[in-house]
Amino acid sequence: MSDDLKQQFLDELKSVAGPADAAAIRVKYLGKKGLVTASIKTLSSIAPEERKQAGQRINELKQFIEAECDKMEAVIKNSELKGRLITEAIDITLPGKYACFGNQHPLSRVLLEVIDIFTRMGFSVEEGPEVELDSYNFEALNIPKDHPARDMQDTFYVSDDILLRTHTSPVQARVMEKKKPPLRFIAPGKVYRCDADVTHSPMFHQVEGLMVDKDIKFSHLKGVLSAFIQEMFGHDVPVRFRPSFFPFTEPSAEIDMGCILCKGSGCRVCKGSGWLEILGAGMVNPRVFENVGYDPDMYTGFAFGMGIERIALVKYSIDDIRLLFENDMRFLRQF
Amino acid sequence: MRVSLDWIKDYVKIDATPEAIAEKLTMIGLEVEAVERIDDDVVFEVNVTPNRADCLSVIGIARELSVSYGLPLVFPDLKIVAETAPLDFNIEIAQPELCRRYAGRIVHNLKVGPSPDWMKKRLEKCGIRSINNVVDVTNYVLLEFGQPLHAFDLGTLKGGMIRVGTPQAITGESSMKFKTLDGTERDIPGDSLMIWDGERPVAIAGVMGGLNTEVTESTRDILIESACFEPTSVRRTSKALGLKSDASYRFERGTDIKALKKALERAALLTRELAGGSICGKIDIYPRQFHPAEINVRFDRVNKLLGLNLSPGTILNCLKGLGLDITEQQGSGFIAKIPPYRMDITMEADIIEEVARFYGYDKIPAELPEAIIGGTGLRDNVYATGIKRDIRQSFLKSGFTEAINLSFMGSNDLDLLSIPQDDARRRLVKIMNPLREEEAFMRTTILPSLLRNLTHNISHGNRDLRFFEISRVFEDSGSGPLPDEKERIAAIYFREKSGSLYKEEAADFYILKGVVEAMLSSIGAGDLSYVRSEEPFLHPGRSADVLIGGQKVGYIGALSPEVTDRLDIKAHKPSIIALEMDMASIISASKKNITFKHLPKYPFVERDTAIILDANIEAAAIIGHLKSYPSEMIEDITIFDVYQGKGIEEGKKSVAFNVRYRSREKTLTDAEVEKLHSSLVEYIKEKTAGQVRG
Repeated sequence: MSDDLKQQFLDELKSVAGPADAAAIRVKYLGKKGLVTASIKTLSSIAPEERKQAGQRINELKQFIEAECDKMEAVIKNSELKGRLITEAIDITLPGKYACFGNQHPLSRVLLEVIDIFTRMGFSVEEGPEVELDSYNFEALNIPKDHPARDMQDTFYVSDDILLRTHTSPVQARVMEKKKPPLRFIAPGKVYRCDADVTHSPMFHQVEGLMVDKDIKFSHLKGVLSAFIQEMFGHDVPVRFRPSFFPFTEPSAEIDMGCILCKGSGCRVCKGSGWLEILGAGMVNPRVFENVGYDPDMYTGFAFGMGIERIALVKYSIDDIRLLFENDMRFLRQF
Repeated sequence: MRVSLDWIKDYVKIDATPEAIAEKLTMIGLEVEAVERIDDDVVFEVNVTPNRADCLSVIGIARELSVSYGLPLVFPDLKIVAETAPLDFNIEIAQPELCRRYAGRIVHNLKVGPSPDWMKKRLEKCGIRSINNVVDVTNYVLLEFGQPLHAFDLGTLKGGMIRVGTPQAITGESSMKFKTLDGTERDIPGDSLMIWDGERPVAIAGVMGGLNTEVTESTRDILIESACFEPTSVRRTSKALGLKSDASYRFERGTDIKALKKALERAALLTRELAGGSICGKIDIYPRQFHPAEINVRFDRVNKLLGLNLSPGTILNCLKGLGLDITEQQGSGFIAKIPPYRMDITMEADIIEEVARFYGYDKIPAELPEAIIGGTGLRDNVYATGIKRDIRQSFLKSGFTEAINLSFMGSNDLDLLSIPQDDARRRLVKIMNPLREEEAFMRTTILPSLLRNLTHNISHGNRDLRFFEISRVFEDSGSGPLPDEKERIAAIYFREKSGSLYKEEAADFYILKGVVEAMLSSIGAGDLSYVRSEEPFLHPGRSADVLIGGQKVGYIGALSPEVTDRLDIKAHKPSIIALEMDMASIISASKKNITFKHLPKYPFVERDTAIILDANIEAAAIIGHLKSYPSEMIEDITIFDVYQGKGIEEGKKSVAFNVRYRSREKTLTDAEVEKLHSSLVEYIKEKTAGQVRG
């Protein structure tokens, strides 16, 4: 009898197609009113000497059916999951929804890189006003009125004594007035000159730097600025220092680096010279120290300044400075 | 300045290649920007810094090369022979403070005509057009000596005299009219130094001669002027008139008061050579004699400043040939008397620069200074710099692209935004000499620039635009000389209304608001609240002032349709969301220190409820009411659904909120939470006159 039941179960099991069938077949055989349960109940009517054996057989059958049902359910669950995974599939080639970060402006990129390099060398960051007094922009820096050095910088005026700073150098004087040496800081910011063409913008960015202490030498200027250029542009970039003139430094230097585009063989960007002017610098003019109340015999220092636009133009091979301030997405998206 | 190598070789016999010479000049501070080959000659384009007036001449550059190469400087013979009788002519300097020296020579019976080819070519190579032999000679000597000269037609000079003074000093006039050589009539300020004959002005001193005494084809006799004018005076006049010349360029940088005599002799001799005639005796009025500056230089200071260890001999050798008159002082240093052509040397550091130049900047070692431990900067600055960077990163990561605009605006930019006359943003800082009217003021708000970026991009077919900018704005404070400068962050969000690929797009306003909130939370700035904004350019129903700690720090909102209509945007009903916030307020609200809070030990229980209430009640008010309910068990309350429409009465809305309960002491039972939640619901019903949604 239990063999018949087993065969019947196996026949029915073949036709199980889904989770509902599987549940039904389990109930049909193993449920409270199921066929196996029913045959257990018939045991009491069997002769005691056969009862044990019959019981054993039914129990085996019950275990067999349970195992088969479990197996079947597992198979069904598995195929059901497979089906679900297939129907839930999406088009993975559609664009991601929030994948697009904004783009940092190339100038702010370069500016932060410059700041990072100098802060790693122990320089702090200072700021000063963009609308500045003539006295800080020029006179404190040893550029008196009616001095031809003012021709180097075409100035926007707000009044006779107030102007848009033409360089970040006035921050030097402002900081030195307030603090005593040793000093080691940079001053990044916007500066203004009334000039506009492919290579000049009426507003642009500079980073000024100043280091003052006892025993600061020209050789330190060379060391720090060479280190900066090589951090910024690569350790194999040649650097050269040549004499120049700034009213607020003496001796003054212009610093060139080997053209990064043509590697020194001469190209349009370096005007065939193989060199790119990158920094102006010099030992702080003793008169500047006197103007802010430092003893020029006790302290020496060096100052430097650089244009961020110039670095960005060279670094990214941009040929028109005006692109930097037009904020066209097709341009900005490239950075 | 353009200078011919051939001409330089008249003064110093160098045989190095033009390229080597150009390199040498660059490395001693006379940057050669271009080397041009013309015929058999080479022309250097030299960038002469404003301190080196002496190098605005062939001789000056030759002198630098003679020092560099250790070669002698050779001068031409300037002895004037066969001088005719002394001349009957007077020169008076009315204001010696403006004219330190004035010398003149007369050449009689010359013949004005074209210059010989060699002269024409040299001038042309240096960028000067040949005019006639007499004028060419003055230009030639200007290039050679750096001393500007002027030739007057003697026949037109009245009263046999030259006077030097300003209109104020000579005639008492506060201004006057005067026609210069170029035929332009100019208004001369009363304090401009002029040259006069016995009756009238004949030249603007150091700037340009007058038409009334110009040398022409018919000129027979000339007076050559060689003078020394005060640099600042020439510069003021040249600036006031907007008139620059090769002469004014040199005078305002300073000329060699001693060499002016040599230049005059050279010009007289060349004139006779080219135009014939006879040279008369000269007049030389020299009221303010030259006294050379004496500068004390310490050998150890030279080494200390440069980072070198040079012997006194080496130091002095570097300076040889510069024309300094040096007296050594017992090995410790020396006193240098400065020649008149080096007025840029005024102190020890200037001499040290000369040593460095001729020793070679490239031979000075590069070394790093010893570290200064304990930064010299303000901690606050360092902190603000870091927070600023976080703020920038928040916007970048939220899909906003950084813009940088010029700091300028036009006053109509404020009209565009309907900014009222008494608004602080009308306290403008005006630029006296703007490049364009639209750039005549410093920005008081960044928004107009971003709107310009927006229209520019839309017109170029760029859609879905998100920009931000961090820059300063400038307001005339009324107190103190300088305006208030405040750093602001402004952002703009524009998305063209078009079908989206994805469902569940949030309203634009909430996207930007979400960015701001995420940014503020990332820097730990809390206590944020919003009130409806009254900014005139914003949509009153879709804008808010942002408050931190109850203080307004900026606004966020949709531009009012009135403003968007004024923009040149083709899109249909564009929705533009803008914000502008004060950076300092954000930075000061950021939290510097983080204190760890212990993780909760007991589980939480959540309950959701929807209530129907008046549609005007804002989410913030509902949250406020819920949070005002006194219970320590409420950990968090969030609104997760707001619904108006089918099934909800007109003028009402359904607001669903979630409350998370947790005790610090024990696990809450269902019954306890049920009791808490139902009394909270009763409380909020009462506060909002609402009904639980069934």
